[in-house]
Amino acid sequence: MASDDIYKQLYENVLNGDFEQTGELANKALENNIDPMDAINSYLVPAIELVGERFGKKEYFLPDLMRSANAMKNALEVFEKDIREKGVERKSSGKVVIGTVKGDIHEIGKSIVASLLTAKGFTVTDLGVDVESEVFINKIVEEGAEILAMSALLPITMPYQGKVIEDLKARGLRDKIKIMVGGSPVTQEHAERIGADGYADDAVEAVKLAERLMKS
Amino acid sequence: MSIRGLKGGFLNFLSEDDLDAIHFATLEILSEIGIKMEHEPALEIFSSSGAKVDYKNSIVKIDEQLLNKALLSAPSRFTLHGKNEDFDVKVDTERVYTIGGSSALNVLDLDGNYRPALFDDLIKFTILLDRLQHLHIMHAIVIPSDLEEYGVDRMLFAGTFPYTSRNYYSQSQTGADGVLEQIKLAAVLQGSEEAVRKNPMFTEVVCMVSPLQHEKVNSEVLIEAAKNNIPVYVEVDAMLGGTTPAPVAGTLVEQNANVLAGIVLAQLVNPGTPCIYSIASGLMDMSTGGYSGAAPETNLLHCATAQVAHYYNLPFQGGTGIDAKIPDAQAGYERAMQVLSNALAGTNFIHLSFGMMEMMLTASYEQCVIDNEIMGAAFKMLEGVAVNDETLSVDLLRKVGPKSAHFLTFKETSEYVRKHYWVPKITDRNVHSSWKAMGAKSMRDVAADEVRKILSENNMPFISAEQTKEITDMAKAFHKKALEKLKAN
Repeated sequence: MASDDIYKQLYENVLNGDFEQTGELANKALENNIDPMDAINSYLVPAIELVGERFGKKEYFLPDLMRSANAMKNALEVFEKDIREKGVERKSSGKVVIGTVKGDIHEIGKSIVASLLTAKGFTVTDLGVDVESEVFINKIVEEGAEILAMSALLPITMPYQGKVIEDLKARGLRDKIKIMVGGSPVTQEHAERIGADGYADDAVEAVKLAERLMKS
Repeated sequence: MSIRGLKGGFLNFLSEDDLDAIHFATLEILSEIGIKMEHEPALEIFSSSGAKVDYKNSIVKIDEQLLNKALLSAPSRFTLHGKNEDFDVKVDTERVYTIGGSSALNVLDLDGNYRPALFDDLIKFTILLDRLQHLHIMHAIVIPSDLEEYGVDRMLFAGTFPYTSRNYYSQSQTGADGVLEQIKLAAVLQGSEEAVRKNPMFTEVVCMVSPLQHEKVNSEVLIEAAKNNIPVYVEVDAMLGGTTPAPVAGTLVEQNANVLAGIVLAQLVNPGTPCIYSIASGLMDMSTGGYSGAAPETNLLHCATAQVAHYYNLPFQGGTGIDAKIPDAQAGYERAMQVLSNALAGTNFIHLSFGMMEMMLTASYEQCVIDNEIMGAAFKMLEGVAVNDETLSVDLLRKVGPKSAHFLTFKETSEYVRKHYWVPKITDRNVHSSWKAMGAKSMRDVAADEVRKILSENNMPFISAEQTKEITDMAKAFHKKALEKLKAN
């Protein structure tokens, strides 16, 4: 496949949310000596931005957005690995570690936030559901994360968000990271009570919050 | 005031063939994919009843035989007890009742403020709702922000149970201990724990997770409630397109497998445990990711689920909150479409049908009163059209004959109107000039006046001040104990 075709295919796949092939395509691109930075900035980013624009106009919906974010992510992982190996650092909107806290298996809100953040250029590590404090903290350290985002859908699992914050304090890491919390029963009062840096009502607000936290 | 159960079931979206197809798809899911149950004792109960259990992955597979056996012992008729017989709810698969709002975090108060809910709001809302004619089962409408979340169900009990004449729809956040402590709280009024177990004045709800998962706490509550003869709403809260397949049919299958697995468990623990097939499902709004209780797709789902539950001769709880933020035109149309379609479909409990706004996040005092009005109109329609010699009125028509005349002066008219016509309480049917003369009030203003009037009257004949205090003091101690247990872990 010629380089131009690969570019075109990557762009199309991100736009259409066909995520199954994008990792493979990215590998092919590298075999063809395509500049990964160029592939990201000239093709992947414009495609995901167009998806975001159509989402805003209610032409595309969450399933489209999440599929496109997956397509973007699969290609990005390959390109970023290559970029890192060359000793260059790609500028990301911010590094986020996200997950639903221990005892809680609610997946979806957290995954929507992760996708929207990816679509906005954040580098997102999604730890899934039922995540232990220790797992959050180890990943934060490993990734050098700038934001920790924790979800809880049950009143009885909400206090665990506070526990993770306490554990971060105990490890002397609290000042090194911004913390945002969410989930249907979570409120601003709860966020303040447990010492989080921010709370958002829904996924769109969560992205705005992450952008604000990166600037603060 | 007393409770009258009207029959629904006029509205059928599914054919017999559709229902069979949903049943067979459900059997396939239950017997081949199974349900994940995180509570080990639940796995053991299934295993000893002959179900295939994969302990490693906590999966229970239920075959047709086991399902049929369990469903045979699940009652289709039972009574949910109020504080006296007038408020008993006689449940079957035809009569339609309502359940109040639940678990809102915010309040829209009479001054128009939107603020976090307080314990005082819970009591006020309960007193208000208890005075509304069309409210049949009481829920704790808010989770107060001035209390710690963990184990708060004991305090919800204290803020609701003593203030209502209706059967109380309870919940236990922490597991079996919550159920046992709530039995103790009810015993203050009912005389003994044994009396509570015999004729419980409260129920428990367990909320299953889609797709196909039963969390530990919920299985624990389900088992403990069944052991103690406390009726259970076995509820699934699916989000169409999110946690269940996007088509209504696919969501019906997921809900069905999930709820039936819970009902089977309750029947295995204690055959005959009253179970209500329940959903609080809603559409996932595909632009915000939020929960829409008032979407037309949600209404279709709830009406169709009523048919699925009735296919198994189980009473059904449907209905949910609306999406509007204030008591406005959106609130009115959302609530009316939802309540009317559910009533006509024969939803036996129209749940969360008072005051719940903003995707279940907010409770509005005024909307409670407006919803009571909407419910009254919907129930009037449930009465249907009676056709008999008397109502056909041929004799009367002959008497009046084809001439310039009217029916107003006839005794038949006077009697019929007094007996059958619906009298709106806060709906205005005046011309503009009269409406203006009476203050040109919007429905919201009129509802606010009604709320103030009700809250200024105090009327709780079913419980003494001492009993209320005893329940409240005990609940505080139980809540404290739960919090200490949490901290110790």
